[in-house]
Amino acid sequence: MATAGKPRPIDERRAQFQRYKEDVKKRGKPFYPFAMFHDTVMSLVVVSVIVGLATIWKWTSFGPHHDGLHQGLLGPEYTAPADPGTTSFVPRPDWYFYFLFYLLRIFKWPDTVFLGTVGIPNVLLVLLLVLPFIDVRRERRLSRRPVAVVAAVLTVLSMAVLTWKGATAKEALASEVINSVPSWIKAEKLPAAAVPGAKLFAVSGCTACHTYMGTGSSALGAPDLTNIGTRHLGITFQINHLKCPSCVNPGSPMPKFASLGDARLRQLAIFLEDSKGPR
Amino acid sequence: MITRRPPSRAQIRRERMQAAANFPLDWLEERSGLVGGIRYFLFRKVPSDTNWMQTLGSATLTAFIVQAVTGVILAMYYKPTPEAAYSSIQNITDHVTMGWLVRGMHKWGASVFIILMFLHMGRVFLFGSYKYPRELNWIVGVLLLAMGMLEGFTGYLLPWDQTAYWASVVGINLNGTAPFLGPFLAQFLRGGQEIGADTLTHFYSLHMLVIPGAIGGLIALHLYLIIRLGVTSPPWSKEAAGEVPVDGVPRELRAGLTRAGDGDGRGNGGPA
Ligand code: HEC
Ligand code: HEM
Repeated sequence: MATAGKPRPIDERRAQFQRYKEDVKKRGKPFYPFAMFHDTVMSLVVVSVIVGLATIWKWTSFGPHHDGLHQGLLGPEYTAPADPGTTSFVPRPDWYFYFLFYLLRIFKWPDTVFLGTVGIPNVLLVLLLVLPFIDVRRERRLSRRPVAVVAAVLTVLSMAVLTWKGATAKEALASEVINSVPSWIKAEKLPAAAVPGAKLFAVSGCTACHTYMGTGSSALGAPDLTNIGTRHLGITFQINHLKCPSCVNPGSPMPKFASLGDARLRQLAIFLEDSKGPR
Repeated sequence: MITRRPPSRAQIRRERMQAAANFPLDWLEERSGLVGGIRYFLFRKVPSDTNWMQTLGSATLTAFIVQAVTGVILAMYYKPTPEAAYSSIQNITDHVTMGWLVRGMHKWGASVFIILMFLHMGRVFLFGSYKYPRELNWIVGVLLLAMGMLEGFTGYLLPWDQTAYWASVVGINLNGTAPFLGPFLAQFLRGGQEIGADTLTHFYSLHMLVIPGAIGGLIALHLYLIIRLGVTSPPWSKEAAGEVPVDGVPRELRAGLTRAGDGDGRGNGGPA
């Protein structure tokens, strides 16, 4: 067959699929009852596991007062009601987001955090989407797909490690910022009155948008607040702005923080006004 | 000479009974072709060597159906307002008959669903089942995975307890840090400037209408492609469907033969 040039890959693939269809027609088994039997068994297992988990969750979380707050084997049935005024709460996503959650701790503010929030997740998603177009060989046996095997092992390992690290991580992002507060106090020579505000600032999500002495990530075009005090905006302005940013600065995308309550807003305002840059 | 006896009374009765019993099916078939479709679905051939790992897809489907059913029941009692959400969840968990079971199944079913999706994807990867001609179904699968995770994200806020609330605050803020679209996305999810009543209704609508609708549609497409293209044989199978007859000898005659130079005599595991 020296004359017949090499068949094009697509023709080979088509021929192979044609052969597959013929093979299945000739030697296959009917879906019902054979394959369907296996599917049914597996589905029953799945439903039993779900019912089992629900039951363990319920029957181990009976507290002395018979409320859902009691910590059972699988956690409480609910935690305390949402309170936008608390700031000390450690936010934690559901377990299948732990890997992302932990990625955000690896990448440090402000330069590389972008990699953790959108960079890596989006690259992974795109890689996953185009996988069939990267790996176009016909070979399906694992022993002949070393690259695929290594990639799979690495992916599973890193996801597992990140998930594990995320699950056992002690603090969330906001409470990490609080570690920087002592250095702020020192560098900016903050008076004692400004310290509660500094702590609030660290845990109230402000650093999701603002940077302060290099901590935090700047988003939505939010200004650096390291020396916001030098603008002498005034306590009243600060409180009003925090209560409703867009009322004071039209078009501001900054969220309202009115729920923190007047006392805390005042603490924040004092901190901001005392922030006059490193001295 | 052929004598034709007239059918006996019993025979006539039996035929009439049969016709009556078949009538609904015939009626349906004549008007929709559904009966033939279901028959085709049930009795279509699949490779004879399918593996237990290939039940993970239908197991995922079962988990999704569990979520849909328990979700509908939860929606009958859940109230998506900041004032009532938490107490309606308490009510479901502590007072509604079997409410704890429904909510528990929905909560834990979500994790099972996600795990099964990952396991199923792993199986498809190990089998190399994403290769020609199943590339499109892999893409549909990745979209399902993304939608499934989004479903988890939007559902997490609904109990409106501390965990839910603060995880969503951070989640939304993180969305907000994405370049270009991020701020708009965060604004949309929040339903305004702050996390409150509108956020809850936005999440609720996404969680019980938009995303499940999208998942349902994608699953339909996924299943259509599976039925159209068939499922693959395990790549290590000796009788993998679609194996290249390297030597031109029909498979039936070749069974059990190991050819020198052809390696191990196993299926070469083509894309089928
Ligand atoms: C979602 C992002 C975001 C968060 C979170 C956020 N801000 Fe802002 N902030 C902005 C943006 C954008 C601006 C610029 C527009 C404006 O001035 O309102 C701003 C402006 C400011 C200003 C300057 C106001 C002016 O008139 O120059 C201060 C002070 C401030 N924010 C304090 C805070 C504090 C304190 C917190 C935490 C309680 C916080 N911000 C949380 C986005 C945010
Ligand atoms: C809601 C989630 C999903 C459901 C209900 C679902 C359902 C199914 C079912 C029932 C099958 C038949 C064979 C089997 O069970 O293995 C299948 C096959 C397949 N699935 Fe999924 N699936 C889901 C998610 C995914 C994901 C996340 C991927 C990959 C990214 C994927 C890719 C595929 C492919 C490529 C096939 C064809 C496999 C073959 O022919 O051997 N699916 N799916």
